[in-house]
Amino acid sequence: MTTSSASLPAIGSQLDVARDLLALLGQVSTEPRPDTRLEALTLAVAADLPVLLWGEPGIGKTAALTQLAESLDLPLTTVIASVHEPSDFSGLPILGDDPAAQGVPMAPPDWAVELARAGRGLLFLDELSTAPPAVQAALLRLVLERQIGALRLPSGVRIVAAANPRSSAADGWELSPPLANRFVHLQWTHDHDVVVRGLGGTWPRATLPRLDPEQLSEAVAFARRAVCALLAARPKLVHQMPTTETRRGGAWASPRSWDMTVRLIAFATAAGASRDVLSLLVRGTVGDGPGFELLTSIDRMDLPDPELLLADPAAADLPARGDLRQAVLDGVVAAVRRQPEKSRWDAAWELLAKAVATGAPDLVVVPATTLATLRRDSWEIPPAIEHLADMVSVSQRADRAAARVVEVRR
Amino acid sequence: MTAQFTGLDYEKLYAARLQAVSARPYLATALYALHIIESRRAPTMSVDKYWRCYVSPAFVDYMPEEELASVLVHEVSHLLRDHHGRSDRYAHTHDLSGPGERLRMNIAADAEINDDIFGDGLVWPRGAVTPATLGLATGELMEDYLSQFTLGPRTQELAWLDCGSGADGLDRDWELGPDGTDGLSEQECDAVRYRVAQGIVGRPGNAPKGWRRWADRALHPPQPWRQLLGAALRSAVSAPGVGADYTYRRPARRSASLPGVVLPSLRRMPPRVAVVIDTSGSVSDVELGSALLEVAAITQAVGGRRDLVTVFSCDTAARIAEPLCRAEGMALMGGGGTDLRTGFTKALRTRPDVLVALTDGQTPWPTTRPTCRTVVGLFHRERSYNEADPDYVPDRPPDWARVVEIG
Repeated sequence: MTTSSASLPAIGSQLDVARDLLALLGQVSTEPRPDTRLEALTLAVAADLPVLLWGEPGIGKTAALTQLAESLDLPLTTVIASVHEPSDFSGLPILGDDPAAQGVPMAPPDWAVELARAGRGLLFLDELSTAPPAVQAALLRLVLERQIGALRLPSGVRIVAAANPRSSAADGWELSPPLANRFVHLQWTHDHDVVVRGLGGTWPRATLPRLDPEQLSEAVAFARRAVCALLAARPKLVHQMPTTETRRGGAWASPRSWDMTVRLIAFATAAGASRDVLSLLVRGTVGDGPGFELLTSIDRMDLPDPELLLADPAAADLPARGDLRQAVLDGVVAAVRRQPEKSRWDAAWELLAKAVATGAPDLVVVPATTLATLRRDSWEIPPAIEHLADMVSVSQRADRAAARVVEVRR
Repeated sequence: MTAQFTGLDYEKLYAARLQAVSARPYLATALYALHIIESRRAPTMSVDKYWRCYVSPAFVDYMPEEELASVLVHEVSHLLRDHHGRSDRYAHTHDLSGPGERLRMNIAADAEINDDIFGDGLVWPRGAVTPATLGLATGELMEDYLSQFTLGPRTQELAWLDCGSGADGLDRDWELGPDGTDGLSEQECDAVRYRVAQGIVGRPGNAPKGWRRWADRALHPPQPWRQLLGAALRSAVSAPGVGADYTYRRPARRSASLPGVVLPSLRRMPPRVAVVIDTSGSVSDVELGSALLEVAAITQAVGGRRDLVTVFSCDTAARIAEPLCRAEGMALMGGGGTDLRTGFTKALRTRPDVLVALTDGQTPWPTTRPTCRTVVGLFHRERSYNEADPDYVPDRPPDWARVVEIG
């Protein structure tokens, strides 16, 4: 008897010690660390587009959502889809006094009512892929139309869903192309360094993008211009249904997803987000191929306009990166070819001379050769050509090297 | 060494780059995107994963232009083919660490590159590693080579090899790192890679086979057929009406808490799968066996029972299918003829939920859509020949089937 009564407070104090130990384990610090995926997610959620996070279980999707909810100052509601029944999302039928007169109302579950009452919140639908097909079907109505039974969630509620990649999903979750087209797809993987450092007690804290109210109209104009410039030149990109098995269930280009892209570009521009963030968003919406084309086209929009350069070659500011500089010079030569005039031809030579003076001479060789062939008989050689001596000697050395290569082969 | 270093001979390097560009016009974007940095500590020429190229001035003085051109193309190939990322992934999956392993990755990456980028306007730079240096076959990928050799007498002379972190993923202390100037961001690297790949695919005429293959992969990364077949089969067997789903045929146990309300209950209906094997072509035992095992394993994983998988096959296939099916507990029925249509008819008589056809596609297809979902595992064939008709092209599987290319 004495032993048992003596051990009782001991158990209590053991739990106290355990609580202290747990508190100690809970003490983690954070450090700032750029996180492009989290930034992309934030922008897509802010833009009120349905986001689908693809990722293996247990890699921190929920943790990311918690941080997102904090930064957007929204209460987070997590619903594990796989433990619910279809009627939890399509509404539970409630029998009234006279169903024939009043109909059968479909009652929403309590968390939906609370969300609707609060008017704002972040709803995270986890484990979409392990839910049976009927549940998934009911959920998609919730994600895409915000309708849950007879209740419509207010626009202040943002919805994010998560799914396991189809290779690891046991129950065959797979998006049909029409559904895949409505989502922004973001791949979620774990970063080894982040995990190791986090388990050591320091988790990353991302500084999330803030929309700049002064940039709004400019951002919209830019987004529209970026997408329209590409689609005007490449009509084939407007609609590209995935045909192969490899691309099923992913993002693809259609007028709908291009519309989403315009929205995302505007948000990314207003937030001053980096190109990496924009790349994730665009490729997650229209797919890799059209996404890359759009990004390349936006890169070119940033390049100086050949006509402006030709109008005032002295003030020209050529990009420092070799491949971009080459693209600009090619563009200048193409502009002269389109509209060959003596003054434009001279201006182009001046630009080439400037390019040789301020950067690598070798990338001027091809534009210079092409420009030379555009000469009309009456045109005199412009004085700017004298400044191309460096380029000529590089070109001659390269020619000699090429000749030696041919000799070696013989 | 009496000669004083006068710094990097940029003109020579630019001449070399110009020669490289004229020999390989489709790599121009990538070659111009490289940011050249003079470095006394780089052994020869090396790249980091931010597209900076570190060049030793002494190396440029020593090498003629044409060899420098080849080395530049070699370095840019490391970056285009994402060797640093692939090295990291390989090290991660195989649990490798240490400079010795990274050297091995550098050697394997060099072997992958060097067997097809030189010649035709580019000289062989001295000391270039080839698969032959390692005593291995040409035309394979870095990962394949890595599993085939170890550091030893054969690689003794390669110990000086150093193409930088862009080739093997290991950061060097003399590199500028992610925060340094003039590096390309991940998205910019992707964009350069994409533009080069598009250039090659758009004008495939003058690019060698190795580069065309790379460009195809860069634009359409391949996916393992097992996963694709699994996904196709899973989605077929868990479609409404098959597998586990809600039904109103029986009330749910939850109904007790909601009097007067009829709720559906979860019911499991094991899928019935019919597999039709067509071996009129030359499908190897290994291919067929692994595909068949995959089908059986997936069916079981989604709740099907072995006795619900039925295999129909032509006589020639019986030799593999039979022992396999005996081991797996599947019923095997004999079939006849080499026409897949008879196999379909026979299989549909058992009223399956899903029909899986394993074939090389050189067969006529049924004209009408089967009554159940159909998955076709198509064994990859380089080219098909028909002696009577050299222009013969076999029909593609019809639209109603989900097609997974195998192998």
